Amino acid sequence: MSDSSRRLHGLEFFLRSQQRPDTKASGIHARILDDVTHVNLRGNSNDAEFNRGVEKVLGQALPVEPNTVSIRESHIYWLGPDEWLVVSKAADSPGLATRLENTLRNIHSSVNDISGGQVTFTLSGENVERVLNKACTIDFDAGTFKPGHCAQSGLAKASVLIGCIEQSRTFELIVRRSFADYVARWLRHAARHHGIEFR
Amino acid sequence: MFLIQCPWCGNRAETEYRYGGEAGISRPKDPDALSDAEWSDYLFYRSNPRGAHKELWNHAQGCRRWFEVERDTVSYKIARSYKLADRNSESGS
Ligand SMILES: [Zn+2]
Repeated sequence: MSDSSRRLHGLEFFLRSQQRPDTKASGIHARILDDVTHVNLRGNSNDAEFNRGVEKVLGQALPVEPNTVSIRESHIYWLGPDEWLVVSKAADSPGLATRLENTLRNIHSSVNDISGGQVTFTLSGENVERVLNKACTIDFDAGTFKPGHCAQSGLAKASVLIGCIEQSRTFELIVRRSFADYVARWLRHAARHHGIEFR
Repeated sequence: MFLIQCPWCGNRAETEYRYGGEAGISRPKDPDALSDAEWSDYLFYRSNPRGAHKELWNHAQGCRRWFEVERDTVSYKIARSYKLADRNSESGS
């Protein structure tokens, strides 16, 4: 992959401004990911041809249940009754939008590569829910927000998409790129009593 | 916390939504045929009832879909919320 096709999160300055990593036992591990492809996909999930085309390219079915994310090779988030977000870290994912476009060419649908507009965080550690619960009206408690669940909501006033992607309480947090620095700073502040380390 | 039920996402806090005004107002098919009074009635005048009110809401920070809510303007109690496609049926909750 050439350098120009890399997808950088743009928070290098934030990471450099980090004080000595805090190593408290109950710490929260935050990762800001590079090279993540985000594709916004719209279409009619009752259209068998649309589903076949999507499955052919992605190798997994679209989640039709609201507030759920399908976690396999890609993470496919339900965004609305006819809208999904495909998040992929695969090496060939920069070509994902083109592959979807080509396959869905004659089917009523829309495919947009929005990778450059979004930033992906992963958050893990036993106190993650408590930090998220501080500034979001969604209840992230393990009993209610289980792996495969997701929600679009507001976190500390920023619009966010949050999914629980692992049994071990790992969350994926997706924000608009222009909000990423703010959200990172909010997380650092809100999690300061638990200890938080960004990578 | 005032909860509104999105027909897709379920109960969410009011802060996730944007209010869209009174529901069921359709644009006149032939605006040229209207008198000024009729046109301004369509543009500006709303029923503003005390009690049951049908209104539009958009789940702005969620699925971004429009839907209708039947809300009591005094008690704020929501009788039902439903998809626009279901507005003529009694279904919805
Ligand atoms: Zn919704």
